[in-house]
Amino acid sequence: MGRITQYYHATSLEDAFAKAKQLGTVAAYVGGGVELVLRRNPEITTLIDLSSCGLDYIAATREGIEIGSQTTLTTISRSADIRGYAEGSLAYWAGRIAHNNLRNMITVGGVIGRNQPWNDVVPHLVALGAQVRLFGGAEHIMPLSGYIEARQPGMIIKGILLPAENAGSKGFLWRFTRTQQDISMLHFSALLSCDGKVVTAANVVFAGRPGHAALYPRLSEELVGKLLSHETFARVAEMAPGLVEVGTDLRATGEYRRELVRAAIVNLEEHMTGVVQ
Amino acid sequence: MTISITVNTLKRFFDVQPDEILLDVLRREGYLEVKGGCHSGDCGACTVLLDGRPVASCLTLVAKADGHAVTTVRGIGDQAHPHVLQEAFVRNGAVQCGYCIPGAITSAKALLDENPDPTEEEIRLAMDSNYCRCTGYEQQVEAVLDAAAQLRKEDTK
Repeated sequence: MGRITQYYHATSLEDAFAKAKQLGTVAAYVGGGVELVLRRNPEITTLIDLSSCGLDYIAATREGIEIGSQTTLTTISRSADIRGYAEGSLAYWAGRIAHNNLRNMITVGGVIGRNQPWNDVVPHLVALGAQVRLFGGAEHIMPLSGYIEARQPGMIIKGILLPAENAGSKGFLWRFTRTQQDISMLHFSALLSCDGKVVTAANVVFAGRPGHAALYPRLSEELVGKLLSHETFARVAEMAPGLVEVGTDLRATGEYRRELVRAAIVNLEEHMTGVVQ
Repeated sequence: MTISITVNTLKRFFDVQPDEILLDVLRREGYLEVKGGCHSGDCGACTVLLDGRPVASCLTLVAKADGHAVTTVRGIGDQAHPHVLQEAFVRNGAVQCGYCIPGAITSAKALLDENPDPTEEEIRLAMDSNYCRCTGYEQQVEAVLDAAAQLRKEDTK
């Protein structure tokens, strides 16, 4: 923030959107507010608070689990519905990343809207096949992976949908960090569905490369239809370092990250087969 | 702008700037028990309860607290009327320099309000916001276990 001159408590989504449209690029929506305070944008003069817009909810529907954008990580971690989704991987990590104070502040809409490359939640939501509900006068829904690629400035993130068809799959997130609260050198997330010992569907996501979360369909294709065997994962572990675009920054070199990519697939194998390599 | 916050059960009105943070406003208004540390949400010294949940007041826009309840460590207990947790921290040697203690007590209070019989792991997770460079954490965990046992004993009386 530079010089904030107005903090606007919106009374509804329509009210918030009208205000943002009127002000243009000098307005920002407030999720948990953490990023707004930490990384101040000098162009922003008005903050639009969405906490009275009814966006703090978790609801199980026929389509899946709806999570309102103002829902905090703590609330997500305690939800029985989310604990039962994809073997509870999202609930587990929502209750462990960052630290307790931040988990009580960070909202799912905030993490998606800001989508910092080091974010822990977004890669896992992408792997889970989350859809994002947007409001821009009317509502529309799109895959979260697509939203990350094509940002929609001015649109309000109303919430996300965890699709019902993935509820019985296995969710997996791995953060390569030196300590629990460290920022990751690499994120790896996956969602696998199996029929007996055969993989029937897979989403493979890498993030913090240091780029944003991205799906790797080529790696998914390599898993689908194959046996849950060491040979399958060994082949993917060999391919992955050449496919995942990694770079060098203060946290790790590209070369080190390529080794982590390989290690991520080994970790996935151990998680899926229960056999330590 | 004028906002209202119920601080330690007392409704107060504050004149604030739209971009001020809760920590700065609380300290300016005399709540000096809320400590500033890193000012980046890392250390937990500034922890207060916002509607019963611990938050980093150094990263909380004060306008977000408008209409809500804030509890500082003095709202939990003071020297004249210490809370069981505060007594347990002293008894277990969990206080050395003392700077982190307001935040640590506040996090522990939120935990025990929700979970009167926490495991050691649950205590460590609930207090993972609160850095303590003196005690090495072991005594703090023991203090919370001790306080939880005391409070359960009082509840059954």
